[in-house]
Amino acid sequence: MENTIKVERAILSITQGDLADKIGVSRQTINSIEANRYVPSTVLALKLSEIFGKPVNAFFKLSSND
Amino acid sequence: MEKEKFIECERKNLQWLINFRLPSYFYKIGMLVIGVSTITMFVRAFAMEGDTQWLKLLLQKTMVVGMLLMSVARDKEEDEMVVKLRMQSYTYAFVAGVMYALVMPFVEYGVSNALKPEGEAFHDIGDFQLLIFILMVQLLCFHTLKRMR
Repeated sequence: MENTIKVERAILSITQGDLADKIGVSRQTINSIEANRYVPSTVLALKLSEIFGKPVNAFFKLSSND
Repeated sequence: MEKEKFIECERKNLQWLINFRLPSYFYKIGMLVIGVSTITMFVRAFAMEGDTQWLKLLLQKTMVVGMLLMSVARDKEEDEMVVKLRMQSYTYAFVAGVMYALVMPFVEYGVSNALKPEGEAFHDIGDFQLLIFILMVQLLCFHTLKRMR
């Protein structure tokens, strides 16, 4: 799974810490998601979708090995 | 209908058990319990006389309780990733514990007989030794995984 959360975050001009606070996780979790080390749950993905104002598949994409 | 209610109740209880965590300050209480137990163990070994076997057994139990408190205490920043890492650490600890229980008796027997001609007889490891090992591996794995996330 690949994602463009870093780009979406840059568009909103918010830091990893700000985004983490908004969706109720730690900054390290956001960092791990951005680095594709952790695939978030559907609940977290929907919370991100709400923050970015876009559907989940706009910033999460399946990679070739998924 | 009754059966469905029963299943639902059982599922809820199981979910509660899976999600059960102690408040994060229990981590510090656990550390304190382990610290006090370790110091008392040294005092018992070097400064106390007489039959203190009961104290040794008691301190072993308090050490296990202390480590269990550390293990089940909520993290300061508990989120879904931390929960996943915790589950992963329990898996590693379980596998390591089974391997330890299988291999360690042979290692102890081999080392003991290699060092002394009249070495120890073959025996399985004790429950305290195994529990401490499992809890230590779990805590170590959990903190390593958290650091590497």
